[in-house]
Amino acid sequence: MPKPRILTALTAALALSACLAAPPAGAAETAELQTSFTPDLLGANTTIGFGFHIANTNGGSPAPLDSVSLHLPPGINYITTTLGLAICQPATLLAQGIGGCSPNSRLGFGEAYVEVPFGQGSGHEIPDIQALMGPPHNGNIVVLFYANGQSPVSAQLVFQGELVAGSSTFGGSLNTAIPLIPSVPGGPPVSVVSIHSTIGPSHLIYYKYAHGKKVAFHPRGVGVPSSCPRGGFPFTADFGFTDGTTAIANSTVPCPPRRRR
Amino acid sequence: MARRIGSRNVSGIAARGSRWGHARVRGLLVAGAIASLGALTGVVVLGAGISSAAVATAARTENLRESGKLHVTGRPNGVKLNEQGSASGTISGTIYIHLNLSSQTRVSAEVNIYPSGGSLSGYGSASYRVEGADAVFSGTLSITRGTGKYAHARARGLRFSGSIKRVNDATTVAVSGPLSY
Repeated sequence: MPKPRILTALTAALALSACLAAPPAGAAETAELQTSFTPDLLGANTTIGFGFHIANTNGGSPAPLDSVSLHLPPGINYITTTLGLAICQPATLLAQGIGGCSPNSRLGFGEAYVEVPFGQGSGHEIPDIQALMGPPHNGNIVVLFYANGQSPVSAQLVFQGELVAGSSTFGGSLNTAIPLIPSVPGGPPVSVVSIHSTIGPSHLIYYKYAHGKKVAFHPRGVGVPSSCPRGGFPFTADFGFTDGTTAIANSTVPCPPRRRR
Repeated sequence: MARRIGSRNVSGIAARGSRWGHARVRGLLVAGAIASLGALTGVVVLGAGISSAAVATAARTENLRESGKLHVTGRPNGVKLNEQGSASGTISGTIYIHLNLSSQTRVSAEVNIYPSGGSLSGYGSASYRVEGADAVFSGTLSITRGTGKYAHARARGLRFSGSIKRVNDATTVAVSGPLSY
């Protein structure tokens, strides 16, 4: 009789430890995506706003984010924009912050919401996000995201997205790898819960020299097609997490009114 | 005229009726025939020479090394840029390029050059990428027609490259390779 009792106890202990170590059965990450055009006009040059929110179906912190691919609608033209006239080097950005890069390298800005595990509990951090033009990779435009968190942990981070052309005439996807962000050295990684950012000229000022004088100007934005597909402009985002799970979120910018000529 | 005089001489000699005379007549006939043939051959060779020169002119080939500096004309129409400027190098003149960004990574171009005495027209296709302040392209160009001095201009697979200043769409372009005209 002692033997079965030991086995039962061992089985129970293993089952309990398994419950503690692994996410609860059926727990998964979910994602929501929001997108916008500013201005919201057909044929206009615009600023794309995008944001996502990640949650866990068990109500806890989501698993750390590993990658995000934001797929742009067909016809969106980022080639004729004058955004990113200067290139910012990631090492310079990390060493000197946003001031180390030319204003003409800025592509957009936003903020993130990050869960930071501390001991048994967790806090949160709201770092600023700056999007900048990075050095091209394989002929593709590279977007650098600079996250600057101050409290409760002072941390600066650079991660890169590659703008890959789509198979259709225009469009494409912004494929971003998110590095593991440790809360404290050797500690568990933080979880990105949400990011909101823009890619476009809204609130950005660039500078150029004309007749020997430095002149401020607004860069040309991302081109919106002059016709709208039925149902609006569809965006899709694919999310990958460090625990191997994935999530997909969709969003549509409704067809804007026709531009007056 | 030479043939008539020759004939009269031959007739005169033949009238003497000597053996040597017959031999001379035969010799003169052969010589005359050779001379006539020579004269004819000369004409033919001369004609062939003119003909060869004409063909060589038609098939003239030059190694084109052109560069152009252009500025945008009119308002940029989204993915279409009309550019005008000057070309220099093997051929100098006004150059017009219509650039069409057919995708995020490809550009097509219609190129027209107007040197003195004619014109050259062609089409190009190139890969395209953004590199900070510039967008650069690289591909090939074909010359498909010409006028005036360049009426027979033809070229395929010319190297075609350039860059566009994104802030003002000013373009530099380089074309090189063999051109027949």
